[in-house]
Amino acid sequence: MSHRAALLVLVAATLGTYAFRAGLILLLADRSLPVAVERALQNVGPAVLAALTVNLAVGGDGGTSVDIDAIELASLAIAAIVGLRTKNLVFMLSAGMAALLVLTEIF
Amino acid sequence: METEGTLTRHSRVDRQAVTDAVPLLIPAVPFGFVLGLAMTESDMPLWAAWLSAPLVFAGAAQLTMVTIAGTASLWAIISAILVINSRHVMYSAALAPMFRAQPKWFRWVGSFMLIDQVFALAMLRSDREPDSFRRYYVTTMLLFAMTWNVAVPLGMVIGPIIPEQWRLDFAPVIMFAGLALFAIKRVPAGIAALVGGFVSLLAAGLSDRLGILVGAVCGVVAGAIAEQRITALKARVEADL
Repeated sequence: MSHRAALLVLVAATLGTYAFRAGLILLLADRSLPVAVERALQNVGPAVLAALTVNLAVGGDGGTSVDIDAIELASLAIAAIVGLRTKNLVFMLSAGMAALLVLTEIF
Repeated sequence: METEGTLTRHSRVDRQAVTDAVPLLIPAVPFGFVLGLAMTESDMPLWAAWLSAPLVFAGAAQLTMVTIAGTASLWAIISAILVINSRHVMYSAALAPMFRAQPKWFRWVGSFMLIDQVFALAMLRSDREPDSFRRYYVTTMLLFAMTWNVAVPLGMVIGPIIPEQWRLDFAPVIMFAGLALFAIKRVPAGIAALVGGFVSLLAAGLSDRLGILVGAVCGVVAGAIAEQRITALKARVEADL
């Protein structure tokens, strides 16, 4: 990739991302949304983050196959259980990574 | 109350924000390492890849950018980044009510650092008074900016030495799973997450990671429908009593 192309990508990514982040905060600064819409927006976090997690896990970048193996899936499940029990992301991460390493070693 | 006010005016750092942020900051470190390593292996010039950390400040999009830089066309790279980051439009909408009571400068500056973690934490503290909310938000955003801008360059340096068997590439997946899990406080949110994740799985084959956006939108809509149904059900039960 040439330096010029890289600069173009960088500028577009920076401006585009900032526009996404700031757009509605700035636009809706002086007006309010209908109550039902504001309430629906409460679910943005869970919906978006779950979609992002799954997409990263299966590597959904337009590839042909869904790419997550049983060991990764099991590790993620163990991490989720620990996460639900402890409500702590560090414990959750440690448990998930440990499970992944141990299971990979065994199988 | 007055003494407490004077005290907090001196210390700009919000202790609660630090306590809340640390468990989310630690998983961001291996993510930064993975990204730093990918940058050194990328076809993209190192200076541009590195600058994306402070400027774009979005791990998933940055990782995709440096990974496909060698193979995809210029427009494919740009559109992939924009598709992945389009989820921030929804973050922006969700936080708009909290930003309404904030000064203008903060709307411009705060939104620059509206990353997944800052959003997740800010939503948890959305009932705070405007001044207190701002202090909380600024503390978290600065903590994440510092961590990210240390972890990514560090990953560029030490990334190549980290054994592949450590599977640091899986850390971001667990991190985002945790963010999603902890964001679920009510039944409709749980339904939103389930539908969002499931649709994203079905749509994983779409190009430019469009599956994220498709899943997210379906999740939010499903959550809203669930909310409506539950409210209607409750009203009926109350009417029967």
